[in-house]
Amino acid sequence: MSSFIKIPLILSLVTMLTAGLLMLSEDLTRDRIEQQKTELLLKSLEDLIPNQLHDNNLVESVIEIYEPEVLGHRKPQTAYLGMQNNQLSVVAIPVTARDGYSGDIDIMVGIKSNGEITTVKIIEQHETPGLGDLVIASKSDWLKQFPQKSFQYPTKKNWLVKRDGGEFDQITGATITPRAIVKAIKQALDYYQTHQAKFQIKDVLIIKAEKTS
Amino acid sequence: MSGFIKERLIDNNAALVQLLGLCPLLAVSNSAINALGLGIATIFTLTVTNSLVSIIKPITKKEIRISLFVLIIASVVTALEMFMNAYFHELYLILGIFIPLIVTNCIIIARAESFASKNGLWLSVKDGFFTGLGFALVLFIIGAIREIIGQGSLFSQAHLLFGEFGHSINCQIFKEYQGFLVAILPPGAFFVLAVLVAVKNKLQK
Repeated sequence: MSSFIKIPLILSLVTMLTAGLLMLSEDLTRDRIEQQKTELLLKSLEDLIPNQLHDNNLVESVIEIYEPEVLGHRKPQTAYLGMQNNQLSVVAIPVTARDGYSGDIDIMVGIKSNGEITTVKIIEQHETPGLGDLVIASKSDWLKQFPQKSFQYPTKKNWLVKRDGGEFDQITGATITPRAIVKAIKQALDYYQTHQAKFQIKDVLIIKAEKTS
Repeated sequence: MSGFIKERLIDNNAALVQLLGLCPLLAVSNSAINALGLGIATIFTLTVTNSLVSIIKPITKKEIRISLFVLIIASVVTALEMFMNAYFHELYLILGIFIPLIVTNCIIIARAESFASKNGLWLSVKDGFFTGLGFALVLFIIGAIREIIGQGSLFSQAHLLFGEFGHSINCQIFKEYQGFLVAILPPGAFFVLAVLVAVKNKLQK
């Protein structure tokens, strides 16, 4: 057989074999990857929307929000709604702080219907290791000062780090990161207060809740 | 230790002597568990690609051998990526881009071209495994040293790789350690690698 035929033949044969291998592994892993993603999502939502505060399926009770100006979003983001007896109990609002020291800081803020924060979580950050990244939960207790805070205390104008005359601790050697995060949390609270109606889309949610039960 | 194994683990170690695959070696060695995760992935890839390359040896033509090797390596790594995504999801998220980048690790195509395409199946499997092991060992040693110096801990986040058992081997070596930033940042990887190469050369003289 001439190499004109032989070479393309070999290449197509090996291509088909490797494509088969890929199809097989995709088929074997697809469901499990989906399941892992959902599990991880639910696990990370657990602190934001505590289990005792909701009785709905969080994966399905979501709304998409896109607020590049107010919440710094770069693309449409998902807010999760915790419902109890078909009443909104907790919202997890995504907010992006664009004024961190190095790139965007993606944050989730859990807010109860009375305006109190459940937890603040940092989803993604690229701050300086050992300085700015001390804000993340595994490295310090800095984020622990936010739960239970609301615009009742401290008042809105005091939602600043101490250095700027506000109520929140900063981190020695890194003021920019905490400042950006405090500002972002304030924006999320503010957004929740001014757009409460947006999260009260009961009809849609009841339909979804019926589907799951 | 037979000469075959010693050659691959020490005398001609891919990372310490040939200085191949430095990109993942330097980037992912910031903790022992990250290093171990990528090390195991590399061993697996090398073993599988070496055996496949050896199997298709009878139909490999000189003109298209590189295309065939690349095709095989890329598919094996993509499959590996899917399996890691499914079974070690959190570790997969941490290692991120470095799993698909195993494709470009030149150790792998170097072994395919210089060894597996010329040798039998069993020998190629052994070659892939031990070359990968040599690389993984160095990756792991650098990761462990950097983690101890940088964070004062060893095997932190081991549960990502070993599940529940991992929590028990996670140890804080220095209590109240402030951390040493340089060891965690990229320069730390260069320093530790340089020290390892120097120590190895000294010992082997």
